[in-house]
Amino acid sequence: MIVTRTQKAGFSLYAGLVLLVFYFPVLCIIVASLSKRRFFSFPYPVEDMTIKWYSDALQSPQIADFVGVSLRIGALTAFCSVVIGFFSALAYARYRWRGRQTFQRLVLLPLFFPQSVLGLALLMWFSFLHITPAWWTAVIAHTVWITPITTLIISIQAYGLDESLEEAARDLGATRGQILRKITIPLLMPGMISATCFAVLLSWGNFALSLFTTGADSALPEWLYARMTSGYQPIVPAVGVLSVIVAVFLVLVLFGIVSWSNRKSRRAPSAH
Amino acid sequence: MDDSANAAPILEVANITKRFDKFVAVNDVSFEIRDGEFFTLVGPSGSGKTTLLRMLVGMEKPTSGELRLRGKVINDLPPNRRPTCMVFQSLALFPHMTVGKNVEFPLSIRGASESDRRTRAWELLKALHLDPNRYYNKNVTQCSGGERQRVALARALAYDPDILFFDEPLSAIDARLRKVLQKELKDIQRTTKKTFCYVTHSLEEAMVMSDRVAILRAGVIEQIGTPDQIYGSPKNAFVAEFMGEVNLLDITALGGSAADWETGRKPIPITLPTLPAPLEPGTKHKLLIRPESLRFLAPGETAGNAVPVRILNEFSLGSRIQYHVEIIPGCTLTVERLREERTADANATLGWELADSQVLES
Amino acid sequence: MSASAPKKKRSLGPGFFGSLSASPFALLMVFGFVAPLLCVVWFGFMPPKTFELLQAPTLVNYQTIFEQTYFKSILWSLGLASLTVMILLVICYPLAFAMAKIFKGGASFVTYAIATSLFVSENIRLFGWVIGFMKNGVVGGTLAKVFNIQIDSLLYNVPVIILGMVYVYLPFMLFPLTLGIKMVPDPVREAAFDLGASRWQVFKKIDLPLSMPGMLIGSLLVFVLSVGAISEAKILGGQKVVTIASDIESEFTYAQNWPLGSALSTLFIALTTVVVFFALGRFDLEKLLGKKSSE
Repeated sequence: MIVTRTQKAGFSLYAGLVLLVFYFPVLCIIVASLSKRRFFSFPYPVEDMTIKWYSDALQSPQIADFVGVSLRIGALTAFCSVVIGFFSALAYARYRWRGRQTFQRLVLLPLFFPQSVLGLALLMWFSFLHITPAWWTAVIAHTVWITPITTLIISIQAYGLDESLEEAARDLGATRGQILRKITIPLLMPGMISATCFAVLLSWGNFALSLFTTGADSALPEWLYARMTSGYQPIVPAVGVLSVIVAVFLVLVLFGIVSWSNRKSRRAPSAH
Repeated sequence: MDDSANAAPILEVANITKRFDKFVAVNDVSFEIRDGEFFTLVGPSGSGKTTLLRMLVGMEKPTSGELRLRGKVINDLPPNRRPTCMVFQSLALFPHMTVGKNVEFPLSIRGASESDRRTRAWELLKALHLDPNRYYNKNVTQCSGGERQRVALARALAYDPDILFFDEPLSAIDARLRKVLQKELKDIQRTTKKTFCYVTHSLEEAMVMSDRVAILRAGVIEQIGTPDQIYGSPKNAFVAEFMGEVNLLDITALGGSAADWETGRKPIPITLPTLPAPLEPGTKHKLLIRPESLRFLAPGETAGNAVPVRILNEFSLGSRIQYHVEIIPGCTLTVERLREERTADANATLGWELADSQVLES
Repeated sequence: MSASAPKKKRSLGPGFFGSLSASPFALLMVFGFVAPLLCVVWFGFMPPKTFELLQAPTLVNYQTIFEQTYFKSILWSLGLASLTVMILLVICYPLAFAMAKIFKGGASFVTYAIATSLFVSENIRLFGWVIGFMKNGVVGGTLAKVFNIQIDSLLYNVPVIILGMVYVYLPFMLFPLTLGIKMVPDPVREAAFDLGASRWQVFKKIDLPLSMPGMLIGSLLVFVLSVGAISEAKILGGQKVVTIASDIESEFTYAQNWPLGSALSTLFIALTTVVVFFALGRFDLEKLLGKKSSE
């Protein structure tokens, strides 16, 4: 399509504006986290700038606890949702079976569902089963919500999987198990790695589900919420910024994987 | 080539039918593939050739009928336990493995030792004109179309199958390279003495490589025989037309060797070739005349049949020229002559000898 | 081989493996989604202020809901969500169009810049607005210093709630919309221009109808997510507006009336399900996600 330079400049300007507004709150948080004063007011003198809150945050054993809970939930959620998602992606994109269309629609249902209600529903269900909520019940809640996403991510890769590769392996004598191990899993690996990153990231930032399902344990977003609504300290934005940095780091890893696998598939001359 | 004609059948296909719901893809087909021959199944798309092939390699199960490999029924044997192997249309090279690992795949599945696998892969790559030093560690995704063909073939040969099946692997290759690869494939078949069963939609491709050809239409075998037999005496109008550009005249028998050519307006009386048994008067048939059997008659020259025509168009085919001629509006024929015999007249008389025409069932 | 053996083999086709690999997910859904929801629905029929599930069902909670002003919070939720959808369609269409058709390398930069925010807890991001908009915040402070204009807090009103929702759910509109606009083939647009259509006509007759699946998915996602939104109204709105989700939450927490909260949830779920199924039934998801256009 022919695009004039002014058009392109106009669209770029618009995109820049949207991104600026989009990152405005993050900038605000960074500014707030660097202010020495107990109560934030803007603008503050340069002498009042400090990174004290960051060192406080990194040294606080209490915050380390919350991070630990969040990481534990994230890791276990990623593991469960990728393993389950791998198989459901095969059912979603690879095999032709009678229930497939229905399955494809039902998979998305938890995504279209308000998380707070899902969290409350799980809370009631656990209490009915006489299960005391703790960090691992949050894993169940996160897995229910995240597995549809991992399924979709791996499915996109599975759609690109040439069926005849598996047929060829079978024709050359491989059993079902050997096909899975030597062909299917290696070929879907990039999708599974991105799905793992997604799962960790989404679990890391989730608040609505954790709020109702962590019980006595508390994940990092819950602590942040509690401190935002009551008992503000500049350590809150500092922890927020640190949490964003962790997320950005994971996104960069994800970006690396995606561009690596894109380059790999672009090398194939007749990749359908 | 001649010894394969008398060779024992290696695969017998007996009354095979495949039904998908109500659609019959393959309808009661029987034939045999002989040990060491190059056999080709050819048919237009939708003729059931791919379904038939998938049943032969075990990826589909026949609805009814029997497949016998060396006398043993193999209907229910899954593809990984059949001693046959296929080269896929897409080639199905494993993109996450090198050329060498692709070729070694069937050997590693079988549990062959590292050194055995390597030796065998090395041999096969050499036999297929892929220098192992260069190609063994090459990524398959970096190979060209022709190289990929050879890797796929090497991988299939590494399986050491009793029969090697091919599902139109050359269809995506450009015309020039295709011709080279066709000849190579034939050479490999001759040197390895393996049984090859090839599937294609191109009769031309089938004729070049095969010892025997089976022509499929709508799930039924129309004709089976050597390329010479099929070219020399096509069984019916479908086979004749499938072979390429031919003239098929609608005729009505009048008794003896007389017939009417139904041109759409008024019938033209013509004379038929000598037949083993005369045609029932009033029955409809097709008369096959190849474009090269038609010629323009010089004034005073005679032929078995002659009709006045008007030349509509001429197309250059290199050493030959193809003419489109009109007998009466709406009824045209195709004529092919050497360039030296070029005619400039718009109006001419077209003729053919009786022996150059064949009566076919319509 | 006995007569029954081949029959058993036949059942191990792709159908069998399809349902086999779907089963872990199905189990998860039954245990972690369907059962809890049934639990909610059932709890809605329990007498008020109980924590026991095994009592005689009653419709008392639903009666309470219709007698009191809960419909107000339902209307607030629906209204805020619809407004968010409309604003996002207008904001995102030009950006999505640029990402799909104009930017080349820049498109993935914008994608990653926006997608990164998905992984930051929305509380943190909303809190950034609080710092920006509060009295003596970043906006107020800048205005006072540069223009000498004194303003009070910009927080705690309806427009700011909508801003928060638009902000939080922007990625959910942008990405489906970009996918949708990508599906509009360039030759078709060029042909339309070539046949004399103006920019506006191409937009109306080509771009809009052909990118409809993306717009629908985006709108649906945003609607469903924002209708259940809770943090925006709480953090930015300061209880100025009570949404249905915060009604439900307070029944569970402060009021300790689980059955009433459950009945409200049931109503709410029913409402969203109707919307989702109505919209999902109108297009083929597989066409948008998968490369297989028909099967």
